[in-house]
Amino acid sequence: MEAGPKKAIPVDPEGVAKIINRAERSSLAIGAMILENDRLIEFVERLSKAGISIVATAHSIKYTTERGIPAYKAGVVEVTNLLTDPSWEGFDGKGKPDVLLVMAINLDLENATFESLKNYSDVKSICIDRYFMINATYSFPSLTEEIWIEYLERLCQELGV
Amino acid sequence: MTYKSRKIKIEKVESPSIKIDDMVIEIGEVEEDTWDEAMGPTPKPEWMDLRDWDHKLIEKYEPFYSPTCDMCCLCSFGKCDLTHGKKGACGIDSKTQQARMVALECAIGTAAHGAHARHLLEHLIERLGVDYKIDLGMNIAVEAPIYRTIVGSKPETLGDLREGMDYSEKELQHILSSVHTGQEGSYVDFESKALHAGMIDNLVKEIADIAQIVGYDFPKGDPDAPLADIGYGSVDRKKPVVLFIGHNVAPGAEVITYAEVNDKIDKIEVAGLCCTAHDLQRRRDSAKIIGPMSDQIQFIRSGIADVIVVDEQCVRVDILEEAQKVGAPVIASNDKMGLNLPDRTLDNPDEIVDDLATGRAPGVLIWKPEKVGEVAVKLAEKIAPIRAKYKEGSLPSEEEVKNEAARCVSCEKCQRACPVNLHISPTLKEAANGNFAPLAKLREKCIGCIRCESACQRDIKVLSLIEKAAEAKTYSETYKIRIGRGPILDTEIRNVGAPIVFGEIPGIIAFAGCSNYANGAEEVARMAEEFLKRNYIVVVSGCAAMSIAEYKDENGQTLYERYPGTFDAGGLVNTGSCVSNAHIIGAAIKIPAIFARRNLRGNFEEISDYIFNRVGAVGVVWGAMSQKAISIGTGLNRWGIPIIMGPTGTKYRRLYLGRKDKPEKWKLYDAKTGKKVDGEPAPEHLAYAAESMEEAMVMIAKLVMRPNDTTRQVKLAHYIDLHQRYMGTFPDDVHLFVRTEADIPINAKKKILEIIRKKGWKPRKIPDPTLLERMIMKKKEAGK
Ligand code: SF4
Ligand code: SF4
Ligand code: SF4
Repeated sequence: MEAGPKKAIPVDPEGVAKIINRAERSSLAIGAMILENDRLIEFVERLSKAGISIVATAHSIKYTTERGIPAYKAGVVEVTNLLTDPSWEGFDGKGKPDVLLVMAINLDLENATFESLKNYSDVKSICIDRYFMINATYSFPSLTEEIWIEYLERLCQELGV
Repeated sequence: MTYKSRKIKIEKVESPSIKIDDMVIEIGEVEEDTWDEAMGPTPKPEWMDLRDWDHKLIEKYEPFYSPTCDMCCLCSFGKCDLTHGKKGACGIDSKTQQARMVALECAIGTAAHGAHARHLLEHLIERLGVDYKIDLGMNIAVEAPIYRTIVGSKPETLGDLREGMDYSEKELQHILSSVHTGQEGSYVDFESKALHAGMIDNLVKEIADIAQIVGYDFPKGDPDAPLADIGYGSVDRKKPVVLFIGHNVAPGAEVITYAEVNDKIDKIEVAGLCCTAHDLQRRRDSAKIIGPMSDQIQFIRSGIADVIVVDEQCVRVDILEEAQKVGAPVIASNDKMGLNLPDRTLDNPDEIVDDLATGRAPGVLIWKPEKVGEVAVKLAEKIAPIRAKYKEGSLPSEEEVKNEAARCVSCEKCQRACPVNLHISPTLKEAANGNFAPLAKLREKCIGCIRCESACQRDIKVLSLIEKAAEAKTYSETYKIRIGRGPILDTEIRNVGAPIVFGEIPGIIAFAGCSNYANGAEEVARMAEEFLKRNYIVVVSGCAAMSIAEYKDENGQTLYERYPGTFDAGGLVNTGSCVSNAHIIGAAIKIPAIFARRNLRGNFEEISDYIFNRVGAVGVVWGAMSQKAISIGTGLNRWGIPIIMGPTGTKYRRLYLGRKDKPEKWKLYDAKTGKKVDGEPAPEHLAYAAESMEEAMVMIAKLVMRPNDTTRQVKLAHYIDLHQRYMGTFPDDVHLFVRTEADIPINAKKKILEIIRKKGWKPRKIPDPTLLERMIMKKKEAGK
């Protein structure tokens, strides 16, 4: 899925935590693959507690609501579209996220999000899914499921949640 | 109006002033206007004629781009890097380049349908004559709604259709030329050209389907078209099997004709993959549909097909290589696909048969459909006994599957290459230990692309292993599909026109396109079922229509057996192949023509404005793959019909997304008062990509809303219910779609009012909606 010369920088969970800590507003987009592993929704809950706003795409709002995780509902292409609009002030009207984390979304749609943000926004995109996504700004490397879960655990711990 | 060349021959005239001896006068075009409808403003519109309309749409639905490639390598100035604000050496920026590529893809798709239409039309004219009548039966007076609206004439004969073809080919040349370096420099105008190409696509599809309906005597809009067989299990492998792959029915129709005339029709099996299969079945209902285009490699590897005839579009280009592995000769029958095979069109059929049956030639080109008919039938009969060993079983044995699976080193390269991200290696581990079930399960989502095999460092034939594991189920199953009926009857439109425009029938949902599904074919069937149960009108075509057939309920029935084929609430209408999905747009056009008595003739903008504001239709292209899929979809958009694609739709690089948070985008004219009034995000998007079936269903229910809905109750009730069911929550945007309290579903009125009032909802008037200023003028003048 290599689109051009600008390629993602591989990051580890500690690196992601640093970027989040430096950001003004971080948001996490999750999608239909949220049930692929039992622990994913738990990580979403913890990341939400770390002050990261959650955007539930596809039908994942069902699962965030069931678990009581506050989330905005939007299609992944809708939220990406909003992020490429310099005048958009965020779902809460308080400002646009400057960092978007992405996880548990169909890979084609994740890639579309990264391509779009790379070209038409200054938003830093971070893939915290189990595959290296070359069009993001930063990405976890490709991981086995086990190590990916370990990475997410490390990320949460690094953020103190 | 007709369009014919005329020759006048004067043998001898002698008068005091003139003497003529044997003179022929030829007049190229004669316009004979037999249609009394007034001509609208844009007969045979050029791009510029409809540019304003396109700009209106694009302003509401700003293109969303996701560049599949950040580079451009179209000319020798390049490669140019266009990433994040960089420009190419010609001055182009990234957005314009994306729009350029979309315009190009739409032009390619349109050219494929157009060349198909031209080929069929000329073939049928050669056989039946230029004056062969277009007669679609008693119940279809508006025989070619797209043609009438765009071309501005009423085709009465096959020869008349040439006028539409000539126009289309000219327009396509202009669109394609604008993609050349140093031409169009605005993404908005490239999008407008993509929309123009899409509209032309819709026109040539209608031409192709009308030509084949009358030329081959296909069903003419019959709601009770018979049920027929689909599935691997439907093929009697004991008979010689001729397999057709592609879209152009001409050679297949000739095979059937030859077999009928020579009393062999019950002795051979005629089967097809992809759209040509639909059309074979429309020609003769004993023909079998194997399945969608994604089944090509699997079915060929099964060894069941004795002869493979390829025509055009969506055929695997390595077909010859695959066919040779199972000793099946290939006949290429169309100029789109030569495969470097020898042209044997003029040779003696028996010599060709001999060369192919003995393996002296792996394949041949035969450009004449009639000759394909003779050669394919004779060849199948001759070669079937020779190929007996392949037909009995070409897939690996269970032992071979185990041994092959055991060679897997779990490097996961196949999974990375797999477009649907199938977790292959764990299933191979299981298979190596004799448990084939997980491997077999992969078949439900596999799209047969064999990228896994290309990626595998150990050269494991992953797809063949999957196929073997799933063999017991796949090869025993037969399903029922309703044969493609073609157009919608005028009488049906008369029945449903009012309930659709008033919002009582909640919508028309059209499932079309390819089988590049992100999550398996069953999702299309489940979506169709959901909307059938809710009394929407469901119209289907192409590979999507096949996927819907390959899904049975607990009683073993397919949706085609459970729902009637009428264009009415709760009807499941299979129009047929991809070209026949033109009739879906045709039905939307017939609503203003028949129900609202709007003139179609050369009147594109007014008709599209009507559809956009009043006809709650949505196209769903869940497995979009080809360039044709995007040209079809973009064409729907120009008529004002939104589309929803699956995740793969983003690979076309462009969606059209509305912004419900920007009320200024939704203003429209009230044709009664002439005032610009507040509107609503209806439809909210024009081209959308959904991630999951659940998301798509909720979006479908939302996108059927139109500004004119007299009542919203039914549409809103379904939207809210589907949202609650699949999203688990009450939708947060209902307040945007409630105009007056009468729009609110009665059963939960109090609760809904409470919710929307909290969002600051205030009632507003329902306008007589239009995006066209001239429609107001017309009303004012009429009132004077
Ligand atoms: S067409 Fe333009 S952007 Fe493309 S390679 Fe040529 S100069 Fe570069
Ligand atoms: S053939 Fe099937 S398993 Fe192999 S890459 Fe394609 S979709 Fe995946
Ligand atoms: S690429 Fe081949 S060896 Fe690697 S996991 Fe897939 S099947 Fe096994």
